[in-house]
Amino acid sequence: MRVVIAEDLFLLREGLVRLLTAHGFEVVAAVASAPELLRALLDERPDVGIVDVRLPPTHTDDGLRAALQARRQVPGLPVLVLSQYVEQLYARELLADQAGGVGYLLKDRVFNDEAFTAAIRNVAAGGTVLDPEVVQKLMVRHSRTEPVTRLTPREHDVLALMAEGRSNAAIAQRLFISEKAVSKHAAGIFAKLDLTLSDDDNRRVLAVLAYLES
Amino acid sequence: MLFAIVLLLTIGCIAFALAREARGVPRPDGLRGRIRDRGWALLLLPVAMSAAVMAGGAHGLIPAELIIAVLLIVFAPKAAARVVPYGMLVLAIVGVKLARSYQGGNTSGVQYLFVHAVSHGGAELVLAEAGVLFVTGLWLLLRLDAPGARPVRALTARWLASGRGGISGVAALLLIPVVGLTMQLLGPGNWFGWQAVDGLDVAVMDLTLLAGALVLIFRSRAWAATLAAAGLLVLGAYGWVIALFWPAVPGFGFAFVDLQNSPPHETFWGAGLEASVLLAAGLWLAPRVARHHLAGSPDPELVTRARQLTQRVQTLTQTRHDAVDTAVAELRRIERDLHDGAQARLVALGMSLRAAERLFPASPEAALALVAEARESSSLALTELRDLVRGIYPPVLADRGLPDAIRALALDSPLHTVLEIELPGEVEMPVAAAVYFSVAEALANVSKHASARSVHIELSYAAGMLRAEVTDDGAGGADPALGSGLAGVERRLATFDGILAVSSPPGGPTILVIEVPCALSSPKTSSC
Repeated sequence: MRVVIAEDLFLLREGLVRLLTAHGFEVVAAVASAPELLRALLDERPDVGIVDVRLPPTHTDDGLRAALQARRQVPGLPVLVLSQYVEQLYARELLADQAGGVGYLLKDRVFNDEAFTAAIRNVAAGGTVLDPEVVQKLMVRHSRTEPVTRLTPREHDVLALMAEGRSNAAIAQRLFISEKAVSKHAAGIFAKLDLTLSDDDNRRVLAVLAYLES
Repeated sequence: MLFAIVLLLTIGCIAFALAREARGVPRPDGLRGRIRDRGWALLLLPVAMSAAVMAGGAHGLIPAELIIAVLLIVFAPKAAARVVPYGMLVLAIVGVKLARSYQGGNTSGVQYLFVHAVSHGGAELVLAEAGVLFVTGLWLLLRLDAPGARPVRALTARWLASGRGGISGVAALLLIPVVGLTMQLLGPGNWFGWQAVDGLDVAVMDLTLLAGALVLIFRSRAWAATLAAAGLLVLGAYGWVIALFWPAVPGFGFAFVDLQNSPPHETFWGAGLEASVLLAAGLWLAPRVARHHLAGSPDPELVTRARQLTQRVQTLTQTRHDAVDTAVAELRRIERDLHDGAQARLVALGMSLRAAERLFPASPEAALALVAEARESSSLALTELRDLVRGIYPPVLADRGLPDAIRALALDSPLHTVLEIELPGEVEMPVAAAVYFSVAEALANVSKHASARSVHIELSYAAGMLRAEVTDDGAGGADPALGSGLAGVERRLATFDGILAVSSPPGGPTILVIEVPCALSSPKTSSC
């Protein structure tokens, strides 16, 4: 799997390259600024771009803006955005095109290399991965509104994990329940939230996120 | 007999009124306390008494007036007190009229306060008493805040206001005797040989001169004083000329010397003495006026500007003090958070790693568990650092500026938020941070206290003023004085001359408005 990495701090960039190489990814470019990133994404057309939000030249959200611009030119170009902070505002901008192939994670998630590489593969496959912290904020927004309050605690947990972009299998493993039980909970959630249930994992995530973002 | 009563009453009343004013003296019980309570109103007694005595005394007028006065004092002490200054002013005017009518040949004697006036004598004393009454009446008018006191007070305040030309009021007031002396010197109807047609001409001229002098005194203290100084010198010099050469020089009267009817030696000594006094006064005043004019009269605009600048410096000193305090407190908080949070976690992490290092040869599994613990520790340290940084300067604010930072705030709020943001440019960072934290505090308050369902946030810019308005549909009744958070917000905004206003009637809605004067820069161009 071909990967482009954009990270301005040398130590972190080298760390990421080492980690991904060790897990069998091919790092085709490791760049340190937003213009370089944009060029690398458009020239290399990697399977996934791993992008730090804050990059030179302005050291603000240049990385995010470069990633969004690349996705405007190449719709659905998979991008996993890493940041020291997660903001709902940025998540919303990343999800706005509804094309999938988007991830938004805190940098510390790199510590858990299995989960991290799984997230990269998920994004590369067109899936959507959101940091649990963003999802938690989304859930808080709706915690007082009507349909969400009717969910059972278990359904609530499942909804949060679905919003993070996890598959039924991953949710089952996480909650120590069977995949069938997860499907049942999912059906219950979709019925209560008045959403149309889809077997496609990615479309399901997008539906859930679209609901939570409303 | 009657004057003695009036005198005693007057002295007694003033003593009571002043004693009542004296601070820290508790009101004694009983009759004394009640009398003291009546205060200035007691002055109505002598005023009524004087009026009654002057009007003729007999036929039950004295008892009738005194009864009315006593009733007023007992049942409406405040109204009685306010009547007193007007009573005094009316008495003063009557006194002036009385004095004039005696000069006009009136022969019937009238008791005016302490003086029994008749046409042969006492008219001057009546005039003096009337003067005292007039001044006392005016003073009481201001003192008691009687109706009509305000314009009088405004006029005196304007007159007494410091910085009006830097010349004392007394110096300018000297113009009045100077004008009076000049008119006296010119005499009625005989202006150095030019005979006026009749007394009316003279009266018109005298009145015009006096009015001109008064207007000048009020309009420009400095020029009134200048004219007074010049007048004193000229009059003084002319006084000596009179003393030496009278009757070869023209003149009607010189101060207290009646030139037309005095023997020569009286004219010499009198005029000489008076002229010396006038010259001395003129020489005292002239250098002051000259110094003032040489120093350049301060432009009234500059004076106003100086006052504004002084106020500005006071405000800035206060807000700078607050800003420094806030900054120090903030640094202290950051230091404490780092010390107890991330720093402690990193120490624990280092210890775990060291222990893992030591354990590794003997028990690799236990070492692995410690490494996992170390990783957990680093995660927690990161989380704490993240929260800390968010409190120092929110990343979205740094990345995107105020509008997006407010949008991010709204997204993070559990309430339903409606945003209305209209900024034609970028807000500079320090102001943006102050407004951001103010809105954040407002939102936090709404979700904590207001039991609101939705919040409306409006951000706009007009006429050099950045304005943020946070309106909720909650229960209202918020008291801005209670929250220390809002006080902090107010201090933070004050550094930028910003203000905070809260309206929260019971039943809602609560509206919080922030206004900060600032300039907007042109919108940032996208870098990629």
